[in-house]
Amino acid sequence: MVKKVNTEQFQNEAKKAPVAVVDFNATWCGPCRMLAPVLENISEKYADKVSFYSVDVDESPLLAMEYRVNSVPCLVLLKNGQFVDQSIGFRPEPQLTAWIDGNL
Amino acid sequence: MERYDIAIIGTGPAGVSAALTAKNRNKSILLLGSRQMSEKVAKAHEIRNYPGLPFVKGEDLAAAFRSQLEQMEIPVTEQRIGAVYAMGDYFALQAGEEMLEARTVILATGVVMAKTLPGEEQYLGRGVSYCATCDAPLYRGRTAIVIGYSPREEAEAAFLAGVCSKVTYFPMYKDETNLPESVEVIRETPEEILKQETGLAVKTAAGEYAADGVFVLREAVAPSQLVPGLETDGAHVKVNRRMETNLPGLFACGDLTGTPYQYVKAAGEGNVAAISAAAYIDKKAKE
Repeated sequence: MVKKVNTEQFQNEAKKAPVAVVDFNATWCGPCRMLAPVLENISEKYADKVSFYSVDVDESPLLAMEYRVNSVPCLVLLKNGQFVDQSIGFRPEPQLTAWIDGNL
Repeated sequence: MERYDIAIIGTGPAGVSAALTAKNRNKSILLLGSRQMSEKVAKAHEIRNYPGLPFVKGEDLAAAFRSQLEQMEIPVTEQRIGAVYAMGDYFALQAGEEMLEARTVILATGVVMAKTLPGEEQYLGRGVSYCATCDAPLYRGRTAIVIGYSPREEAEAAFLAGVCSKVTYFPMYKDETNLPESVEVIRETPEEILKQETGLAVKTAAGEYAADGVFVLREAVAPSQLVPGLETDGAHVKVNRRMETNLPGLFACGDLTGTPYQYVKAAGEGNVAAISAAAYIDKKAKE
């Protein structure tokens, strides 16, 4: 499951997860809508090792600024709250799982 | 929404040949392109090596394509596809605000020789954007530079002007510009996109222009930009002998796959791509 979080939940949950993938997106962004079901699918497969979150950049602009999100969708991978890597734009599932695996 | 068996993008010899073959295999087809077929074909003076059509004029070949499609009852849908997304078991094709769906996609768009600026690909998504209407809200109250390759892009610059604190426009053409007064027009040639302490800068022979975002807007879309995740080799899409790309269910044919840029080679590859797509659908159906 990909959990939608606000800024406070992000601090309390995503930043404390051992491994978190955070999807920065916006309601007006076409590629974001296409990425969401792909990420949902991946989240089921990685349920035991990675936590997945979704952040709306319009609702949480400060978080978007903190992680220098200049284009959406933008996936940010965190380990124990520390920034590890980012993936910009839509990517097919096999490439995203390879990206996650490469950062585990 | 109807999910087509095969969406074919392009109406040159490769796309037309793929459509005819797919129709013969009883697949439902969405053929996207122009009812004028291909501009490149229509402008060809004379083609001397197309079997069965000796010394055919380009415009006559285009007319023959059109008539053969009509006889086979294959309509041409005139919609510009902005992006193709590999969703797993199907593809989503973005046509303006609309999303079209197909089990397989055949790319037959021809080749576009769009040279990117130094720094452009490096900072894509990190300040460089190809779509003003997509990313504009991220630049609310900030500064933007638009490099527009055709007057059509002025609408995107005007849209940004309503959101950004300042917009600077570099027209890459000679026509007069028609933009809101707040947009500054600079007639210099961008040479490079540079990273600065905050944001980016566009470098010209005369100097450097800083902005938070740089929008590069071209008519021609590179294949890797059209299909996120597609493996390319320069301007060409990587394929094997079955015209398969690195994305299962997505095929490419014609000039897009590389030289020689010959009509008869394109038509042959279109045929192979359609047969491969049909085989892929049949195999999936059995699973």
